[in-house]
Amino acid sequence: MSELLWAEKYRPRSLSEVVNQKEIVERLKRFIAEKSIPHMLFAGPPGTGKTTIAHALAHDLYGENYRQYMLELNASDERKIEVIRTKVKEFARSRVVGEVPFKIVLLDEADNMTSDAQQALRRLMELYSANTRFILTANYPSKIIEPIQSRCAVFRFTSLKREDVVGRLMYICNQEKVVCREKALDIIYDISEGDMRRAINILQAAAALGEVTEDSVYKVVGLAHPREVREMLQLALAGNFVEARRKLRDLMINYGLSGVDIIKQIHREIFSSEVKLPDELRIIIADYAGEIQFRLVEGADDEIQLNAFLARLSLLGKKIKV
Amino acid sequence: MPWIIKYRPKHINDVVNQDEAKQKLINWLKAWEEGKVEKKAILLHGPAGCGKTSLVEAIAKTFKYQLFEMNASDSRRKVDIERIAKAASQTAGIMGRRIILLDEVDGLDPRADAGGVEALIEVIKNTRNPIIMTANNPYQEHLRPLRDVAELVPMKRLSERDVITVLERICKSENLYCEPGALREIAKRSEGDLRSAINDLEAAAALNKKVTLDTVKAVSTYRNRVYAPWEALQKMFNSSYIFQAREAVTSTDLTHDEFITWINEHIPTYYENPEEMWRAYEALSRADIYLGRIVKTQNWDLLSYAIEMMGPGVAFARTAYKYRWKAFKMPERIKLLAEAKKSREYREALAEVLASRLLTSKAIVKSDVIPYLRVIFTQNPAYAAKIVLGYKLPEELVKWLAGTRAKDVLSYVKKGKK
Repeated sequence: MSELLWAEKYRPRSLSEVVNQKEIVERLKRFIAEKSIPHMLFAGPPGTGKTTIAHALAHDLYGENYRQYMLELNASDERKIEVIRTKVKEFARSRVVGEVPFKIVLLDEADNMTSDAQQALRRLMELYSANTRFILTANYPSKIIEPIQSRCAVFRFTSLKREDVVGRLMYICNQEKVVCREKALDIIYDISEGDMRRAINILQAAAALGEVTEDSVYKVVGLAHPREVREMLQLALAGNFVEARRKLRDLMINYGLSGVDIIKQIHREIFSSEVKLPDELRIIIADYAGEIQFRLVEGADDEIQLNAFLARLSLLGKKIKV
Repeated sequence: MPWIIKYRPKHINDVVNQDEAKQKLINWLKAWEEGKVEKKAILLHGPAGCGKTSLVEAIAKTFKYQLFEMNASDSRRKVDIERIAKAASQTAGIMGRRIILLDEVDGLDPRADAGGVEALIEVIKNTRNPIIMTANNPYQEHLRPLRDVAELVPMKRLSERDVITVLERICKSENLYCEPGALREIAKRSEGDLRSAINDLEAAAALNKKVTLDTVKAVSTYRNRVYAPWEALQKMFNSSYIFQAREAVTSTDLTHDEFITWINEHIPTYYENPEEMWRAYEALSRADIYLGRIVKTQNWDLLSYAIEMMGPGVAFARTAYKYRWKAFKMPERIKLLAEAKKSREYREALAEVLASRLLTSKAIVKSDVIPYLRVIFTQNPAYAAKIVLGYKLPEELVKWLAGTRAKDVLSYVKKGKK
């Protein structure tokens, strides 16, 4: 009696299981038949299958134990090019055994690298091109420097269509014997903006509440985003600074959120219709939130900066009432 | 000329009460001449004002060494250290023997002066001249490599008697009349810091050519007068003048970061008016920013701005002055900080586990997976337990995810294992 996250459980393992991005899959299948791939850049919005397809490709090339032939790096977790360099060097050194003459370096979210780091990456690609192939993924291909783009075959992943996502969710519900309403799946698609991973996460959480209905979907989404952020804003705007600060501390302690996480959520809430505010005030507050986020990124103290933000909100809130 | 310079010891015999350190230095220099030193550098350490630099200068004068002096906190960057110290240590002086003095090496900041300590070690390895370093506290972690390559020579805190001896000598030479008890008072307040004692004597003598107990009491301050944090806050918030607020900031034995935490806690304790509260927080947040910049750039000139923002900036956020006595309790945050840190670590650990399974970055796991997992863990403990087993999640992560439902989830996990 154990269970996995459905995003893992229902991930296609082989290219033949991939239901969308048909043209891309066809081209990749040809590479597999020839046992030869170029460097590749998979570009497209999140949750459209870039990483999944890269893994499926490697699976089809090398078989079940493909992960020993593939080095997976994530640029947003390993920001230092030095770390990437060392790992690639180490990985490329060992020989390839078997009938495929190269190994694969999968560098996820490569558009998070600075252009300096990308220049270094370009040299790495050249240096080890004899026995490695690079697959880069990126949300924004324009943030990949041209010399890299020109060395790669570029594959553009398109947003998943409503019927693809809903169809997949339906399939999962059938497999899991979960009762679901089609309208609810529609809503999941809208909320997840075509991001399959997010859609499946929402589905699983809604199913955990019982049935996948419109209500349960909305409930999940409401629960997933801590209400404390909104409550904190409302308390501050009502002039209750001390209580607002208590909520802030809850957020940091119970949810393990950093100051930047919190200010980003605040930013979202400022423009939400649930928070009652005159529009010109939303702009002033958003501007100040931007300033606070900048300070935090620069290394300023989470609580002091956010307290300054809440104190300003209390003052602004008082002014609206007058 | 300030007396602390005028009365620097010119001969080793002028240095009071540091016989052991003197003897060690003399023997070591002798060994250097004969080319049989065990360690090529000495790390001379002791409290402020006990005469570390003066001792080295006196030795250089007495034994006719040319002193090549460099203050580590003036030129903190690696390149500076390499340039100055290498040049000094590798060309044997045409003018004669040399001592390289690297003053205040504990001023090297482990992060901002990255490579500074390594550079010094390299210099010590290659030196052809004796190197003497000084430090107040040589036992800081980042100085450990220096402790390995240098011989540690401790200097004592000077006694009241030692300080008086020097002060009497100065009085005589300056033709000052000193009331009995006045010098003792200065010495007592100096707590063994000869430099501050000489400064106080000079200040007291400047008023009139007589040093009386009263003038001493008027000019000499207890430099290390320490206030409890709440006393300092009382003084700071209620100060009538900027200088009082500024002094209050530096009157505790807390670091600036720690004192900021106290202010941060108590701005709403002192201020009720939102306007004042916001202005106070804005000033405090500026202080926080300056401190951050200091850490980043090692530009300690900025410290006065930080102090002005956190003290006067916060105190003068008021719109009207009225003395208000408030109870300033220990900041909750000090306790909460540790909890928040733990919580962030759990989130990080969970992201680490799931990122590799879900083939995505930790950032995505944090934003798009963990929030939904939390829903499952708080709403459906039985189902959550299955996921715990599926990923073999450790107990502390389960507790973190499930919050108040942790017990339920864990009991299902127990049943599930059977």
